[in-house]
Amino acid sequence: MSLKPPTEPDPRRFEVSKGTLFLDRAMTQLIRVGGLMVILAVFGIFFFCRKELLPRCPGSEGEAGGLLETPGGAARVLGVDEWGEKPFLYRGGAEVVFIDIESGEREVVPVPSLEEVEVTAASYDPVHHRVAVGLADGRVGSFVVSYGTEFDEEGGRKIIPSVEAEPWFEVGVGEGPVKSLSYGDGGSNRVFVVAREQGVAVLRLGQKRALIGKPKLTLLGTDDLSDDVAADVVAVVASQNGQAVLVSGDDGKVRYFLERGGSLELTQTFEPFEGEPPVRMDYLFGGVSVAMTGDGGGQKIFSLFRPEGSSERLFGETKAFPPVGEGTPVFATSLRNKSFLTGAGGRLSVRHLTSGATRWEGEAEFEPVAVTIDGKTEHFFIAGEQGQVQRFELDDPHPEAGWRAFFGKVWYEGGEGPVFQWQSTGGSDDFEPKLSLIPLIIGSLKGTFYALLFSVPVALLAAVFSASFLPQDMKRVVKPAMEIMASLPSVVLGFLAGIWLAPIIEDKMPSILLVCLSLPVSALLIGTIWCRRPIQVRRWLEGGREWIVMLPVVAVVSWAAWSLGPVLEKLVFVYQDPTSGREIADFRLWWPQATGLSFDQRNCVVVGFMMGFAVIPVIFTIAEDSLSNVPKTLTAAAAALGASRWQVVRTIIIPVASPGIFSALMIGFGRAVGETMIMVMATGNTPVTEWNIFSGMRTLSANIAVELPEAAPGSTHYRTLFLGALVLFVLTFTLNSVAEVLRQRLREKNKLV
Amino acid sequence: MAGSSNAFATTGRSRKGEPLVWLTAIGLTLGVMLTLGLLGLVVVKGFQTFWPNRLMVLEVKTGDGLRKLAGYETQERSRRDFDGTVHDEVQIFRGNEEINGETFVYFDVADIVSSEQPDDLLLIERLSGGNAIGRAKALELKDEGTLDADEPGFRDRLATLIDTAEDRRENLRTIEKTKIGRNAKRVKELTLERKLIEEGKVKGSIEAIDAELESLQADFVKLDAERTRIRERLEADALVVESADGREITILAMDLLHVFRANEAGFFGRVGEMFRRIWTFLSSDPRNANMDGGVYPAIFGTVVMTLVMSIFVTPFGVIAAIYLREYAKQGPLVRAVRISVNNLAGVPSIVFGVFGLAFFIYFVGGVVDDVFFPNSVEPVYKSGGILWASLTLALLTVPVVIVATEEALAAVPRGVREAALACGASKWQAIQRVVLPASLPGILTGVILAMARGAGEVAPLMLVGVVKSAPDLPFDSAAPFIHPERQFMHLGFHIYDLGFQSPDSEAAKPMVFATTLLLIAIVVVMNLAAIILRNRLRKKYATSSF
Repeated sequence: MSLKPPTEPDPRRFEVSKGTLFLDRAMTQLIRVGGLMVILAVFGIFFFCRKELLPRCPGSEGEAGGLLETPGGAARVLGVDEWGEKPFLYRGGAEVVFIDIESGEREVVPVPSLEEVEVTAASYDPVHHRVAVGLADGRVGSFVVSYGTEFDEEGGRKIIPSVEAEPWFEVGVGEGPVKSLSYGDGGSNRVFVVAREQGVAVLRLGQKRALIGKPKLTLLGTDDLSDDVAADVVAVVASQNGQAVLVSGDDGKVRYFLERGGSLELTQTFEPFEGEPPVRMDYLFGGVSVAMTGDGGGQKIFSLFRPEGSSERLFGETKAFPPVGEGTPVFATSLRNKSFLTGAGGRLSVRHLTSGATRWEGEAEFEPVAVTIDGKTEHFFIAGEQGQVQRFELDDPHPEAGWRAFFGKVWYEGGEGPVFQWQSTGGSDDFEPKLSLIPLIIGSLKGTFYALLFSVPVALLAAVFSASFLPQDMKRVVKPAMEIMASLPSVVLGFLAGIWLAPIIEDKMPSILLVCLSLPVSALLIGTIWCRRPIQVRRWLEGGREWIVMLPVVAVVSWAAWSLGPVLEKLVFVYQDPTSGREIADFRLWWPQATGLSFDQRNCVVVGFMMGFAVIPVIFTIAEDSLSNVPKTLTAAAAALGASRWQVVRTIIIPVASPGIFSALMIGFGRAVGETMIMVMATGNTPVTEWNIFSGMRTLSANIAVELPEAAPGSTHYRTLFLGALVLFVLTFTLNSVAEVLRQRLREKNKLV
Repeated sequence: MAGSSNAFATTGRSRKGEPLVWLTAIGLTLGVMLTLGLLGLVVVKGFQTFWPNRLMVLEVKTGDGLRKLAGYETQERSRRDFDGTVHDEVQIFRGNEEINGETFVYFDVADIVSSEQPDDLLLIERLSGGNAIGRAKALELKDEGTLDADEPGFRDRLATLIDTAEDRRENLRTIEKTKIGRNAKRVKELTLERKLIEEGKVKGSIEAIDAELESLQADFVKLDAERTRIRERLEADALVVESADGREITILAMDLLHVFRANEAGFFGRVGEMFRRIWTFLSSDPRNANMDGGVYPAIFGTVVMTLVMSIFVTPFGVIAAIYLREYAKQGPLVRAVRISVNNLAGVPSIVFGVFGLAFFIYFVGGVVDDVFFPNSVEPVYKSGGILWASLTLALLTVPVVIVATEEALAAVPRGVREAALACGASKWQAIQRVVLPASLPGILTGVILAMARGAGEVAPLMLVGVVKSAPDLPFDSAAPFIHPERQFMHLGFHIYDLGFQSPDSEAAKPMVFATTLLLIAIVVVMNLAAIILRNRLRKKYATSSF
């Protein structure tokens, strides 16, 4: 028998298979890259929201274009077409000069009716492209510039300007040449306000329907305002609806005349700048506010609103802007929003009425004597002393936005004072969007507050009981029940709140009050009685079975309290009808009478109760977790020293677990703040700024859900809703992070013990 | 001294604060009762809508004398007016929309003079106009003349009429939806192609397209004639019903869906009817502005969306978790990332919806449309659709999966892992063969929890493509069979829309409660499954570690 020498082991035996190695490396890379990508993608949300929101919001840009020379003297009027391509100049002669801004070509269109007259004053109405002129002989008239468009075969747009003269009117009041004038065209109501060397008058014009051709403009009557304006006239302006005029005199006072019963009557006299008269008064888009520019460059906005106790709308100062500059002020209003362009002595600034902010500021190369803004508010033009014309690009897509508009009190047009208000869309074109987030934030906090008011006691009591007294085998049933509660879809809760619960609560408020009071009282009562029993009796329940005893107790007590509700209502909540003096026991009527606050069907009680289903399990789970993780050594030591089981809880468990309880509250808060469907369905969705428990609210989250599908992408409204989402995100994320850090600390601390 | 020792003997331990213990007990009791109460409410209300009630003929006192009406009681309530008077009221469903207008009415109990339950009352489900209630009077048949209700063979004839009408409607649906739809789609495509050729953007023959268009037109004429024929046939026969106050209602075979003799049926008959109603609810399309019929498209939309979501969320969530737990270097950064991921689960869902709208729809969808559908007039992917909704929800639920998977991975005992490595497994092999199988139940729990959360979430969906009525499902027989850009219906949104946006909220209530029951059932079953799985997992490792 010979033994074969053992073969040398193949060294490759100890090598790892190439496939395995390759797979291992590949998977390592895949998981590294994949994992990082997922985490980055998840965090991308935050940065994307920021990117969507921030770059456009705060500022605007203006950029100057080339200078075009049109020799021939200073312009009295500068106007432009809707697209900002063909501005025109009127210098007071018998011709209008159109300038093609691209090519620089000039086109002179004669106005035959202006030949052989001496024009002493001119004014411009950009809405109708109408130039009103006043003559040395006291006559006034006007002509309209119209821009026709033609499309050539390549689809290019060609603008063909033309001028159409309107009739002359004699001003029968006063003497001397026309000093200043203004034309207000409200369609069927039109006024000419004319200030002559001596005297000031209003010409009321009307359209007579002719059988053939265009309706003819006729003079309906002349109102002499000279007696009312006992001073030299500095400036005049007629309102865009043709029903009111403003006249400023050199005594510093502005007089407001309003049409009443066919003639204009003095309605209000006010002094915008002490002693110093406004040299320019211009209506802003919408015709409710007037920008007053003083001699020293001060600028104030006066708006029409109904002051408290007054039945008519009067002018009042709503905003003050920084001075426009030294020199003769120029002014032009946007036809699209509440922006306007103003300036003096070469300084220009674009300002916005609602936010009271200066959107853009810059210096012109020359001192402008006339300015105008195109129809889309994308360009503005300035004209100088020598007839220079320059176009500026204006890039301001979100003039209404700004921190002051979002978070500050704003005095909106027509309002009695500055308010926080959210009203993003309105019926008319000249609607002023009200984009204050404050009512929404208050709504969110209000809903959250009432939700926590109900759910925090229930959740914390349940957590303490479950963690400290409940036997292990019962915990296995109770905790999943709470988790099921957490999983109830919020749309279901919202639906039940709005359709099922709200009518019940509306009717049975006293019963609910009684139930809320009687349940804890009954628990304390039973506890007091029970602990007087001898140990032989108490033994049956000791060890965490109390909650089962409470099931029938809660049912019976709730039922009793529920049926006693109407009795309480008859005793306490009695409403007295102010007209008949009859007494009706009805909480719904009593509450508004007793407190002066409203009572809505969809109110905070409903919301708070239903939100409980969403919030209780969150708070319960986390609080229970931290309460049960209190080291046994501590509790055992306390019990050994003779503490009762409640004393152990009060002196050991709760203090040790308090950071955990606090973080549970914060996470519950975060959950409640962002809850959407319940809020959409059960709150009535009215933005409010008060904390009445029986009224509804509109929350940030519900507002997004309701309005975002309708908002145009990229619009101010859309971006504001994004800001709302970002506020929610930052709020909940921060709260949760703080809570999480607290919990981790607590966990480590308990480990050490 | 003696006294205190005596007290100890009779009362045992110190009783200090015992009432407060009872106070905490009530918290737990309330929590459990609220959950059970809400579930019970939904179950009761949900099943009530399916349970067939007895039909009654009531005589009611009204402002203009006695009125007779037939219907069934749906609700009782006690209403208080603002003058302090209390009214006990019953809500009656009386149907017959065309003669009654409002179908749900409240009557004061005191005003009801008499009520009886005649056997011959029928509850008739119709395709349009809601249910009808009345006595059968006759069948008006085009070929066989009139067949009175008291003649023999009336019931059989009525049953066959309903059956044939069902077949014909099915036929009509095939023609209208499938055949004509396909035809119209092809015509649209060809017209677009023809336009492109005319503009010189694409090469092709206009003649060939014109020829095909012509043949399609001929097909359409044929199909249209067929459709008209079936429709006429369906409208030729009718059931005449007499309402309780003696007015006649003619119900065309076209509209006739089901006839139920509510008062004749015994207990089992009613149980059978209940199951039939449940089946109809689950399997048919909504009718009558979503207020009748079923929720099949909504179930389909919810299920498909949830599945697509879990297809996205599972691999990514698991990979991210494996990376965080097994590969990344544990340090403050990873800890911060872990906390943040955890917190993302607490960010409001509407925020994710806003992100989905801006990023997926307007940004990604816009790019897809520009690249792949430059010629389309309407946006294809740049509008809400089931794909975007699924992706949004995937983002919303990915933290849930990551957290659950991490926990499951951490629960795998160190010993098991080290044993695998000691046996020569590579890191990936150890993960693949030992760690992942061991943590699978935990991962599954996470996925199920994510699905349950996704199925119940509505707020973000409102922004990214859910609609109240989507005629086309995201899968169908038209090429390319899968249409991820289509809008879809969802059970949760169905509840919101019916409960809060429908013109007649009273009439919509039963349907909403039924849908609520279904949604809750889905979500609760999913959650229970997750809980049971997790408990098993715990037990398994409770024995292996000590």
